[in-house]
Amino acid sequence: MKYTAKPLPKVELPELRQVGKPLRRVDALGKTTGTTVYSGDFTMPNMLHAKVFRSREPSARIKRLDVSRARALPGVVCVLTAADLPDARLVTDMPGQTGQKRRAGSDAPVLASDVVRFAGEPIALIAAETLAVAEQALDLVEIEYEPLPGVFDPLAALQPGAPVVHEPDNVVARWKIRKGDVKAGFAVADVVVENTFRVPFIDHAYIEPESGVAWMDGQDVINIRVCTQVVEHFRSIARAVGVPHNKIHIQGTLLGGGFGGKEDITVEIFLALLAKHTRRPVRLEYTREESILAHSKRHPFIITHRTGVKRNGRITAAEIKMVSDSGAYLYLSPYVLLYATIAASGPYRVDHLKVDSVSAATNNPFTSAFRGFGAAQAAVAYEQQMDEIAKVLGLDPLEVRCVNYLKTGDRNATGQEIKSAVWLEEAATRALEALGEKTPAPSDAVKIGQGFASYLQSYGRITWFHDTSRAWVGLELDGSVVIRCGVPDLGAGQINSLCQIAAEVLGVGLDDVTIYSTDSALTPLAGTTTATRQLYMSGNAVFHAAGAVRESLLERASKHFEEPPDGLDLAEGRVFVKDDPEQSLPLSELAAMCAAGGLPLANLYLFKAPFTSTLDPEGLQGDVFPDFTFGAHAVEVAVDTETGEITLLKSVGCHDVGRAINPAAVVGQIQGGSAQGLGYALMEEVIVEEGIIRTPSLAEYLIPTAMDLPVTQAIILESGSGVGPFGAKGIGEPSLTPAAPAVANAVADALGVRIPDLPLTPDKVLAALDRAAGREAVGAAACETDDDGSEA
Amino acid sequence: MSRHTISVTVNGSAEYVDVPSNMTLLQMLREKLALTGTKNGCEAGECGACTVLLDGEPVNACMVLAVEVDGREVTTVEGLAHDGQLDVVQQAFVEEGGVQCGFCTPGMLISAHSLLDRNPHPTEEEIRQALVGNLCRCTGYTRIVRAVQKAARGRV
Amino acid sequence: MLPEFNLLTPQTLAEALDMLAESAPDAVPLAGGTNLIVDLRDRRQCPAVLVNVAELAELRGIRQENGHVVMGGGTTIAEMLNDPLIAQHAPVLQDAARIFANPLVRHRATVAGNLVYGSPAANTPPPLLVLDAEVELASQAGVRRVPLDDFLVGVRETACRPAELLTAVRWPTPAQHSAAAFRKVGLRKSDAIAVLNVAVRVTQRADGVCEQTRIALGSVAPRVIRARAAEESLLGQPLTETAIAEAARLAAEATRCISDIRGSADYRRRVTEVLVRRLLTQVAGEVK
Repeated sequence: MKYTAKPLPKVELPELRQVGKPLRRVDALGKTTGTTVYSGDFTMPNMLHAKVFRSREPSARIKRLDVSRARALPGVVCVLTAADLPDARLVTDMPGQTGQKRRAGSDAPVLASDVVRFAGEPIALIAAETLAVAEQALDLVEIEYEPLPGVFDPLAALQPGAPVVHEPDNVVARWKIRKGDVKAGFAVADVVVENTFRVPFIDHAYIEPESGVAWMDGQDVINIRVCTQVVEHFRSIARAVGVPHNKIHIQGTLLGGGFGGKEDITVEIFLALLAKHTRRPVRLEYTREESILAHSKRHPFIITHRTGVKRNGRITAAEIKMVSDSGAYLYLSPYVLLYATIAASGPYRVDHLKVDSVSAATNNPFTSAFRGFGAAQAAVAYEQQMDEIAKVLGLDPLEVRCVNYLKTGDRNATGQEIKSAVWLEEAATRALEALGEKTPAPSDAVKIGQGFASYLQSYGRITWFHDTSRAWVGLELDGSVVIRCGVPDLGAGQINSLCQIAAEVLGVGLDDVTIYSTDSALTPLAGTTTATRQLYMSGNAVFHAAGAVRESLLERASKHFEEPPDGLDLAEGRVFVKDDPEQSLPLSELAAMCAAGGLPLANLYLFKAPFTSTLDPEGLQGDVFPDFTFGAHAVEVAVDTETGEITLLKSVGCHDVGRAINPAAVVGQIQGGSAQGLGYALMEEVIVEEGIIRTPSLAEYLIPTAMDLPVTQAIILESGSGVGPFGAKGIGEPSLTPAAPAVANAVADALGVRIPDLPLTPDKVLAALDRAAGREAVGAAACETDDDGSEA
Repeated sequence: MSRHTISVTVNGSAEYVDVPSNMTLLQMLREKLALTGTKNGCEAGECGACTVLLDGEPVNACMVLAVEVDGREVTTVEGLAHDGQLDVVQQAFVEEGGVQCGFCTPGMLISAHSLLDRNPHPTEEEIRQALVGNLCRCTGYTRIVRAVQKAARGRV
Repeated sequence: MLPEFNLLTPQTLAEALDMLAESAPDAVPLAGGTNLIVDLRDRRQCPAVLVNVAELAELRGIRQENGHVVMGGGTTIAEMLNDPLIAQHAPVLQDAARIFANPLVRHRATVAGNLVYGSPAANTPPPLLVLDAEVELASQAGVRRVPLDDFLVGVRETACRPAELLTAVRWPTPAQHSAAAFRKVGLRKSDAIAVLNVAVRVTQRADGVCEQTRIALGSVAPRVIRARAAEESLLGQPLTETAIAEAARLAAEATRCISDIRGSADYRRRVTEVLVRRLLTQVAGEVK
């Protein structure tokens, strides 16, 4: 099938001087010369080295814990156990933001006391003069476990009589969507298609393992230099350590990748406790194995779609069930499940929709945020379901989608009106067009397949979280610009975008802007670098703060030039009269005039996302997100039907990013995010057996290498319709979401049979072909319906 | 445990370092010589973040004992730029957007540099093969491959 | 961190053998270190002494000698990959070297280390087995030669004795009408532990009749094995599609696969048959 790009609606975007240009990132130079200092590169005089003693058992009572031999080892300065920390818990909640009452006791204790609930749970902290001594001390901790029955499967965990991880039962969260009349919707369906899809645990596998250094200063402030996505954790850290909020100071560093894995607290509380108890600087760096053991995983999901469709593909009703594995502790599981629930029906208009989702506690590794945050798992299911619907109806996959795509003004699963541009068909047809004709197969054993996936993904946090970001922008007397903003930069170019926005508004070059970021005490709090929210939130904060400075400057210049402020402009470090650019002044002179007149040269702006109230849990109808990003990813694969090996041949991502602040960074997001999705589809899985991780290092937990990925072509569309600065939408998470289902669809296209469980390993390919040869449909059931909707 | 005094040339400078036998080259660079540009990502030869040149050949510094580099030459990312001028590979990484979080970048640069020294005009396939030991989780490698191609053109 | 140990750096092979003998069984030779350093770090091995043999001249070099190719045990995988003699006489070894881990590891890892480690998933044993390689093992007691097929015993188990050093690998220069091939299946395109790997070598007469066959299978048994029944089934036969299919079936029968995180036993057995068939078909075409 040959696809032609759908013409784009006409959009006039203003030509800008800095924004929209693929400028050299402000952080690139330090990173290529090795001078950028990451959290693991810091040392302090008189510093101690820390290690964490962790549980080997996934479910056990601690019968005896004796750290006396570890304490007695020469060179050991401090050993802490739960006995030293009365009821210290790692609370990931934020006051006034969740809207859901959290269940007492399901937050992780900082250190396990009587019971361990997963293998890897921290039990004791050690600080010693050298790392070697700290490691020796680990071996001297004596522990006896009494194994308890564990539960390692979320479906089993929900059965009556299952071992209970946290009283009273293993239900961590439940959500439901009730929209329209599902029974009536199924009644008018010509065909009902039902399938179940599964996705595994996966690891963020950032190249930089977690690390940090903490020390107490003269005001008894505990300073923590750490790689984190969330400097606002200082509050939770203070609570766990038992000090006032103003005694914890996070000095965040540039991150060596985060992807959600550094969204929860990692080393911070351990460092703070040891620094407080020893009053000496302490360093803690996880090994790769400890990183894999200690931080969250992406939630495995089991998702069942039952979809009623007309013969032309129009969806008349959908019933979707989701089960996620929350692991041993709560963390962000309820919200990941909520995102998945709201995204369950995808970027399609489904007037009659019923979604029931539940997250179950198990004795598996805990699960939490991972780029895509539940919506990525949802997409793996809904996009495979769309292809299965097309197959059952004998229609083209694009055709089925086009009949159902949301349009601007339509309402999504929660009844929220989509106000921005929805260029789903535009994106999908462009991705498919760029994919081109199928590559000829090199042999009979090899089958070529093409597939694509569309998606919708929110950017910005849930609006009942009442999200805010602050930024301070100021002009120095020499005309250079300073931004202060608490944003953590994960490597995606977060700080660079803010610099480019300020440079645009204040008419300076990118090199004239310096940003101070990621400090919980010294930079205005900007919120988390999560949820694809920083460009939207902090981008707007910087835009408005810089705008206020600009206004002040133009007002003063207006007096000088005797021109109205809107007759003036700022560019190339000068203020000038628009109609007569010869009349101009360098910004340094204008700054001096302002300073002499006591006029403000700086502004602190508080940007607020729309604030809404929590929704009725009985149906979740109402507004939940500020806006959504839409797009598509398409891939071509070659599948060796005799060995089951899959090779990616082509990859194209096409997304409407509203406005690309830095197109090079946007391309980087599309290529990098999709790479994670491609790995998710083909090879990534944290294999957990009876609660024990069987892929403990990067030798077993495989992520794609340069040989595994093709060039990903990135196609940027700009509708200018986003709620970010200059009409931008977010792309951080959306870039990942459609890639995995696109691969699943391409492989199904190649084989003529679907493998409903990721990752698509060679083993599963052969097993699926076996089942197909046995004329057995894989996890799929389609049936004709009678007029009353009952299954024929 | 034995201790050894070794002499090693690091980025062109002669260094005399006292090291215990169980110290890796990675530890020596980071802890003894304060060259923290070389990163620690796994200590098991799986990620390539600690790639350095040992007598001109790229190796994982975590897999080499410090004692083994006695009398040899080591080049780290800090040794690529000269007189404040970026090496052509570094320049290409900056210009092509081959850098995101930057944690794999020092190792990538060393592997790329070594490839171009051996093979000034590599194909895309050869570039990908040369970078297989350097994992990147941010870029999907496309921009990195482009940067190496650009550097190859720029080296003439 | 690595545990504590003493590191000795001998200047000659004799000195190295003395050092190993003196500290046996607590001494371990260190060459490329790509297995050993990881084992030390994970405390899978805790020797008191490491004897650094990486620089010993006696362990290096690749040469031809009395109709044999002799490769020093200290030859790195990268050296093997770039050596003209190997390219001429044992390109199958380079096929295995090319996808051996990654370039960084290849610059360190040695052929001796790869063999002595006794991993059933190692890359070099299948091609060396089909080349009829022998290993030279040196100790204070002298040098002995052991066919590689006898050297490999089980999972991480070889015939290497304490204080013995694998100094060289040697194999008869293959006949002209001989062709060999190697294929590995991993869970990613490179830098992956083998789910299985297969090497074959066939010597054919001018009329296409098979004079000698070698089939070696990795990761499908506790050690890398030869599929002897499959080899014998081809002797005196032309390499027809039917004969190849039968040999492939027999090869799969020779496996003793387990299921692990990389693949099921059934998958391994089945794909063994596929790879043997494909490789035999490939070399059948090449020999003529």
